[in-house]
Amino acid sequence: MQLFLQNIVNAMQWGSFYALIALGYSMVYSILMLFNFAHGDIFMVGSYIGFGVATALLGLTAAFNLPLPGWIILVMTIILAMFLTSFVGMFIERVGYRPLRDAPRASAAITGLMIGIILETGNLALLGAERLSFPALIDTVTFQVGGIYLTNKKILIVVVSLALMSALHLFIQKSKYGMAMRAMSYDFQAVPLMGISINKIAPLTFAIGSGLAAAAGILYSLAYPVLDPYMGVLLGWKAFVAAILGGRGSILGAALAGFLLGFIEIFSVWIFPSTFRDVIAYSVILLILAFRPHGFFGQAHSTQLRL
Amino acid sequence: MALLRVDNMTHFFGGLRAVHNYNLVLEPGHIVGLIGPNGAGKTTVFNLITGIHTPTSGNIELSGHNLIGRRPHETAALGLGRTFQNLLLWRHMNVLEHVKTACYSQLEYGLFGAFFGTPKRHREEKRITAKALHLLETFEVSEFRDRLVTNLPYGVQRRVEMARAMATNPKVLFLDEPTAGMTPDELNRMIAIIRDIHKQFEVAILLIEHRLKFVMELCERIQTLVFGEIIAEGAPEEIRNNPQVIEAYLGREDVT
Amino acid sequence: MKSPIDKIKQLFNTTPLLAWLLGWLAAALTEYFIGDAVSYYLGLPRIPVLFGCLLALKKPLLIPGATGYFLLIYLLPFFLVARLCRRPANYLASLLARGPVSLAAIIHLALFYLALHIWADISDYRLLLLKLTMVAVMLTLSLNVINGYMGEFSCSHPGFMALGAYTASTVTLRLFADDKLFGAPLLSPALGPYLFPLALICGGIVAALGAVVIAIPSFRTRGDYLAIISLAFLFIVKSLIENLEFVGGPRGMSSQPDYAGLPMVFLGMVSCVWIINNFVCSTMGKALCAVRDNETAAEAMTVNTGKTKIVTFMFGAFWAGVAGGLFAHIIRYVNPGSFGIQRLAEILAMLYFGGLNSVTGSIIGAVSINILSEALRPLELFKWIIIPLLLIMVMLFRPTGLVSFTEFKAEKLMRPRG
Repeated sequence: MQLFLQNIVNAMQWGSFYALIALGYSMVYSILMLFNFAHGDIFMVGSYIGFGVATALLGLTAAFNLPLPGWIILVMTIILAMFLTSFVGMFIERVGYRPLRDAPRASAAITGLMIGIILETGNLALLGAERLSFPALIDTVTFQVGGIYLTNKKILIVVVSLALMSALHLFIQKSKYGMAMRAMSYDFQAVPLMGISINKIAPLTFAIGSGLAAAAGILYSLAYPVLDPYMGVLLGWKAFVAAILGGRGSILGAALAGFLLGFIEIFSVWIFPSTFRDVIAYSVILLILAFRPHGFFGQAHSTQLRL
Repeated sequence: MALLRVDNMTHFFGGLRAVHNYNLVLEPGHIVGLIGPNGAGKTTVFNLITGIHTPTSGNIELSGHNLIGRRPHETAALGLGRTFQNLLLWRHMNVLEHVKTACYSQLEYGLFGAFFGTPKRHREEKRITAKALHLLETFEVSEFRDRLVTNLPYGVQRRVEMARAMATNPKVLFLDEPTAGMTPDELNRMIAIIRDIHKQFEVAILLIEHRLKFVMELCERIQTLVFGEIIAEGAPEEIRNNPQVIEAYLGREDVT
Repeated sequence: MKSPIDKIKQLFNTTPLLAWLLGWLAAALTEYFIGDAVSYYLGLPRIPVLFGCLLALKKPLLIPGATGYFLLIYLLPFFLVARLCRRPANYLASLLARGPVSLAAIIHLALFYLALHIWADISDYRLLLLKLTMVAVMLTLSLNVINGYMGEFSCSHPGFMALGAYTASTVTLRLFADDKLFGAPLLSPALGPYLFPLALICGGIVAALGAVVIAIPSFRTRGDYLAIISLAFLFIVKSLIENLEFVGGPRGMSSQPDYAGLPMVFLGMVSCVWIINNFVCSTMGKALCAVRDNETAAEAMTVNTGKTKIVTFMFGAFWAGVAGGLFAHIIRYVNPGSFGIQRLAEILAMLYFGGLNSVTGSIIGAVSINILSEALRPLELFKWIIIPLLLIMVMLFRPTGLVSFTEFKAEKLMRPRG
């Protein structure tokens, strides 16, 4: 039982990462009907930017002898890195996706993949192959509640991601731009006729998605502080699977499926040998898709990666 | 004996009754028109008979073969050719390829032939090409044989689609609004072509159409479908004067 | 007076393929006989292995020498012989055009192979590069059948390749080699090279059976969901292999017997191109395009779409499996890591660079990306920035690839000109 609860805590943590990244995939999909395959690498770029910001802030506080506690630096890092990474997302939209808006979607998928490769190698070329380790901004505090071990980091990760997701939800439901996004996800063609420019909404969507990915990157680096240019590949693809599982273009679905994926993975490791994690996780996903081919919350669009 | 026989065909989409107790007897060589207001279920009737949907209840027979539960490609191979209301052409294929591909079920070579280019395959391909070229001539589209369909004028696309449907060797041809969006010029040409293929290939035709003039001119018998039910059936004259049909099309007389 | 450009144009328009092949053979022979001497006089350390590209990028000082070598050894004999042979080659080509296509094709292929063989004889590096390029052609072409001709976005190609590679390796190691995984061979190793094609076919068949797993869901879903299903399949295959200890688990399998010589790989590639081209040019193959462009219409025109899909997936997977088997025996080592997302991105890049729905496009894409990535090797990391950038450019200006939607006709290629 204790182990079970412990696993739930771990699953929540991994689920937060997947959900935050999956949201980016899903948002872009709901607007442009294409998956941004560079998104996993934006997550990687986000954690590197976070690393840069955190190091700079630490350097500044040390230089001016400011008595800033670690958590303030962490909050500032998250906010600044989200802000900076959103520009990366907008830039990618501008150069990679906007010219291809009318092209076959498969071409856009390939472009996304290639942008991802460029981001990975560009990073390697700029920073070299040696792995950076994320500065420990806050000390790990472990406490025991009813036999299960919690760390402040795990709680922080889950709380921050839930807060970000709620903020996104509010933004989409209440704000003017959020409404435009929702409208656009219903009808991509008609909304520009209503005076809302897709050239405004699409960059905004990329910006928000990238910001969330950056947040995920920093939270991930808190838990696993080794940075690696290829860290986005595995997490990104899994989050992509979660986005599909949630239903294409469904924000709520993506978040829930992200957590579900975390649970599937953690619990398959609990029951089976850990090397079988991928086999079990993907088999479960195949089974789910066999029964609900459009994911949990997806509408049955009959879209295809057309030529 | 009737060529195509539909008895008491009923279909529900979820809770919505799309077609109710539809009956049809199509004799060889006849042309029957199916008219009715938008959303009456005309295209659904086509889709049910050709096997895109399976009717909830009812019976469909084509020269003795039961069609219920068969997939569209099976009903097509048995002799149901069709065109589509919104021209479902293959955008990356040229005109000749369209017509040849529709001969798929008549190919006598198997995968082995396709992979290894056996002499039999070459013979078959030649035979099919000859047949396709003949059809292109019948539909007066030979000059476009190597062109992609997307670049062709609308009227030509319609004719290509009909040529493609005829390539499946149909005994019954289903035409779904063959004149939609056509100019009067093209319309007259279409009437001539339909007459011509009707005679030349001895094919029975079931026709959905909105232009009453066109239907009246071509058809021997007309069915009127409203809300999935046949409200009138008979010769063009009877239909023209049937008060129920007039009501369905023009609205109630006493309203005006 | 004609401008030089017109003259070159005319040269290209009037010289048949046969003459170009002879020209290339001449270039290969020139290099074979006087390459060493020429490179010595031009101040090059040894014969440049890849047209001098590697050398030029590594040591910019050697650029003049490398260029001179390229002009002297390749360009000069190539054009000279092609020009000189134009008339007899045209005559010969018109003779061949009267006979069966297969005879002409065999003669052309034999010449082509001879030139390749001599060219590859200079260094092991060239040999390896050639073999891997041929495998890449097979992979790209077989993916084109699924992604280009049938228009499904399948991501499981490396998975099929892995199935083929592991099956073929297991067969050869078990039957013909004394290996630490499987122990003493069951059959005499002398039989190995002759039965090797059978091992490849076994690999292909296993891959084809694997393809059924993703072909069946493709009846109901298309596009994104098929992409994800095939992606999941790829991950599952990869991690299953990692967990199967009897094929080496994550460490992989090594010391496959050296059966995949240049002739074997060449033969594999030629049969792959030939059979796939036969298939996609037949009316049965055109049905794939019909399924892609509009499935409802295809069904209504008697095309059995279910059968078409399953056959196409199995067919594409079969060739991916054969290519995988060849790959395993060329490298003589396989591990699950070589069949991941990276490989997928590579095959997709070659496919979309060359062009969808086109045999020529796939060949061009696979060859050019492979050669390019070798030629840019001295740039190390920047290679992986230049190639993706190039591909993005192609996608921006020609979204379906360089040479898409064409038919490959051997007769047309080999016809006499002039």
